[in-house]
Amino acid sequence: MKDRLAESLKQSRADYTEIRVERTWSSAVSFRGRRLETATVSEDQGGFVRVLNKGCGWGIASFTSLDELPGMVRRANELSRAVRLDEPIRLADVAAQTADAILDLDGDVRGIALSEKKQLLDRYNGAMLAVSNAIVDTQANYRDEVSEVWYVNSEGASLYQLRPEVVLSGTAIGRRDGNIEKGLESIGLRKGWHSVQNYEDRFRVVAQRAVDLLDAPRVRGAAYPVILDNELAGVFIHEAFGHLSEADFVYENPQAREMMTLGRRFGKPVLNVGDNGAATGLRGTLPYDDEGTPTQDTPLITAGILVGRLHSRETAAKLGERPTGNARAISFRHPPIVRMTNTYIAPGQQGVGFNDLISDIKLGVYACGAFGGQTMLENFSFTAGWGHMIRDGKVAELVKDVVLAGNLFQTLDRIDHIAGDFTWNQMGGGCGKGGQFPLPVTEGAPHVRIEEALIGGDV
Amino acid sequence: MIDRLLDSARGRVDNADALWRREEQTAVAFESGRLKAAGISEEAGINLRVLANGRMGVAGTTAAKPDPKELVERARASAGLGEIVQLAFPGATAAPLPSIPTFFDHTANASLAELIRMGRLLVERLSRPGCQINVSVQREVADTAVGNTAGARGEYRATGIAVTADLTRIAGDDVLMVYDQYVGADMPTDADLEALVRSVETRLAAALTVVTPPEGALPVVFTPAGLAAVILPLEQALSGKTVLQGSSPLAGKVGETLFDERLSIEDDPLTPGRPASRPVDDECVPSRCTALVERGKVGRFVYDLETAARAKTESTGNGRRGVFGKPHIGYTNIRFRMTDGGRDGGAQQAAPLPSHELGGGLIADIADGLIVDDLIGVGQGNVISGAFSHPVGLAYRVQRGEITGRVKDAAVAGNAYDVLKRIGGVGRDGRWLGARWSPSLLLEGVSVARR
Repeated sequence: MKDRLAESLKQSRADYTEIRVERTWSSAVSFRGRRLETATVSEDQGGFVRVLNKGCGWGIASFTSLDELPGMVRRANELSRAVRLDEPIRLADVAAQTADAILDLDGDVRGIALSEKKQLLDRYNGAMLAVSNAIVDTQANYRDEVSEVWYVNSEGASLYQLRPEVVLSGTAIGRRDGNIEKGLESIGLRKGWHSVQNYEDRFRVVAQRAVDLLDAPRVRGAAYPVILDNELAGVFIHEAFGHLSEADFVYENPQAREMMTLGRRFGKPVLNVGDNGAATGLRGTLPYDDEGTPTQDTPLITAGILVGRLHSRETAAKLGERPTGNARAISFRHPPIVRMTNTYIAPGQQGVGFNDLISDIKLGVYACGAFGGQTMLENFSFTAGWGHMIRDGKVAELVKDVVLAGNLFQTLDRIDHIAGDFTWNQMGGGCGKGGQFPLPVTEGAPHVRIEEALIGGDV
Repeated sequence: MIDRLLDSARGRVDNADALWRREEQTAVAFESGRLKAAGISEEAGINLRVLANGRMGVAGTTAAKPDPKELVERARASAGLGEIVQLAFPGATAAPLPSIPTFFDHTANASLAELIRMGRLLVERLSRPGCQINVSVQREVADTAVGNTAGARGEYRATGIAVTADLTRIAGDDVLMVYDQYVGADMPTDADLEALVRSVETRLAAALTVVTPPEGALPVVFTPAGLAAVILPLEQALSGKTVLQGSSPLAGKVGETLFDERLSIEDDPLTPGRPASRPVDDECVPSRCTALVERGKVGRFVYDLETAARAKTESTGNGRRGVFGKPHIGYTNIRFRMTDGGRDGGAQQAAPLPSHELGGGLIADIADGLIVDDLIGVGQGNVISGAFSHPVGLAYRVQRGEITGRVKDAAVAGNAYDVLKRIGGVGRDGRWLGARWSPSLLLEGVSVARR
């Protein structure tokens, strides 16, 4: 394959050419209620060409028929030449990498019979259904893949990456009369078959929660002191801050650049945030990004001060900074854009625990788990899976419909206490941006306290 | 391709159906007012479903020259693990498929230069100091063929074009984003592009002043875009799948009046000029219109073949499938038909307002309330229950019948089933937004929280 790509590169008349080819083997099993929905094996493959010429813009072609590769290189070049630019696009220098990066398959999913995968998921689905008669519906999904990615560019990069992935998810729907609640479990790992065993308890717990939520009151909408659990704190930092740290948001926009000036204070000195694509064994981990740049640990906020941002080669060149290995594409169907990898809030002082965060809160909310989050730049929303009221320094009754609405700047600045109990939260699903969803990412955080945050709901 | 595949399946399985689709896209992107990239994408794939020993299995591939035998074997292996289902594929019909224009030469033949020209026009019209303008123009031509071993066949070509403009204004730490789009099967006319420009301009102008949000249970005008959060629970509950699973709050309520009697909603795959329109669904079922809500009463649920078979009813022609995975239920075009207003309404009481008129003519009697145009996090909560609770992405305060400015740091919450029981007013600004046509609706007693 590498030779074939090298040959096509040679044929290209563009100033800069890159080619990415992917072949993905995947299998999927899903249950809905007691019924199997599907058990299937799929093969997806295709290519992506991107070229650049002096005084011109990007020319891009993606295709499923690899026989078309030489023709697509030509067409991408024509498209580039049709885009006239006064200000040229420059790419920051990256030493051309040549490597075969084979991640540990951890029990190659291609060697496991589909029937075994069905049995495994049947057990997890059954664990949810067995919790209570109030569980009227479930969705359980298993998906695995082994993806081979070849990348070459006209500067001499030549990479082959083998990436496994396995995702398990479960939704339990509890219903009593007109009242409907759900519990959600999601596990996503850049690993294989060995890593998805023995999760019955986690599926049981989410079904029980769906049942418990049926009796829980809605949280009263108001501003409260809020403690985020590890999972929600991770989603929070990804949604509320991570997206703003993606340099494609600021690089063409002077006002945005001003807002995100390095050196600006974003939080109290307890706050440290980063993005680490090179962390070992996580779902957002990859040795090289989709422009062939090695990944790294990039500090974004250090002691409350904005110190860095995430780059592609183009955004780094424009801002005179260094590429960080954050140019990613969800598949050959898309160009690489600036994305997060494994984003984290660093742990606070060792020994600081949940009790230290909660003890002086008279009335507050402990927001747990995440149904999802969305950001509109300075404004964000995230939906907790469930919550508890905090009363007189203690975790009190279960509440539902906990939605945090907030303004980034105010909220980050109101983080006043961070525990030492850091965990990576390896969830399935993924991040969406620019029509590219779901991109595998990981979030990590300890328990985090926000002095005051707005919780939506009935007032 | 379909015929070769189905031939290969005959004799090796009980029955089979397949979809083949080839899509070609051409896109241009303007970033911060500059044309930055032009791209094409070509993709073809095939999806096969089989019934073998009464069990269902699927297989899909994007391989350029798929081996029919291998694909059938893979689907058979999938069926080996599959569930038993009494699925009858529709046979060849004597009547022709409904005739619906899905292909427009104009769109298919538009040159790259023409797509660039449209984008440039929007950039020129919408550029202003302190604002960043991004525009994208995307054109698609798709060929679809469906068939099954019972003899049914369907084939059509479709075009689609999406023109989107989003404008970002950052002033200090205040970030304002205004967005709109034209989506159609045919190229936008100059008037369509003008409407897009006016829509973005109007909403930007009204947003420049930031005012304190109100608080309490208030009248809120949901624009066609803002309505997404209110409609999503209904879309989920009206799916035959959630009804079958027992999780739909509308199960067993067909014929009951649960909504305002002026409200009718239908799924209509036969609307000319819409990219989601089609003569036949992805399972060879001829397209037809389905009344989801009729004058406030729960109407029909939508079904694909498998869900219909399990629920012992008929497919409504809402089968949708991709290259991978099995067919599932999908809506086509969702249309609101309001009986006292809106361009598509029955007895029209007043002339339609242009869609850029904020509030659709519904704000005159509002003493204090909101116009909600965009909410953040729609689809993330416990949607099926009807409950929604979202911070506002773009919303305006209305005081004494006038828009006084944009509100920030506010959240709206309610339950779709409660707020649609009594609609306070129907806007005269009905429009298409993607695959949904609706006017603005004035809904009362919506909970508004602020910091």
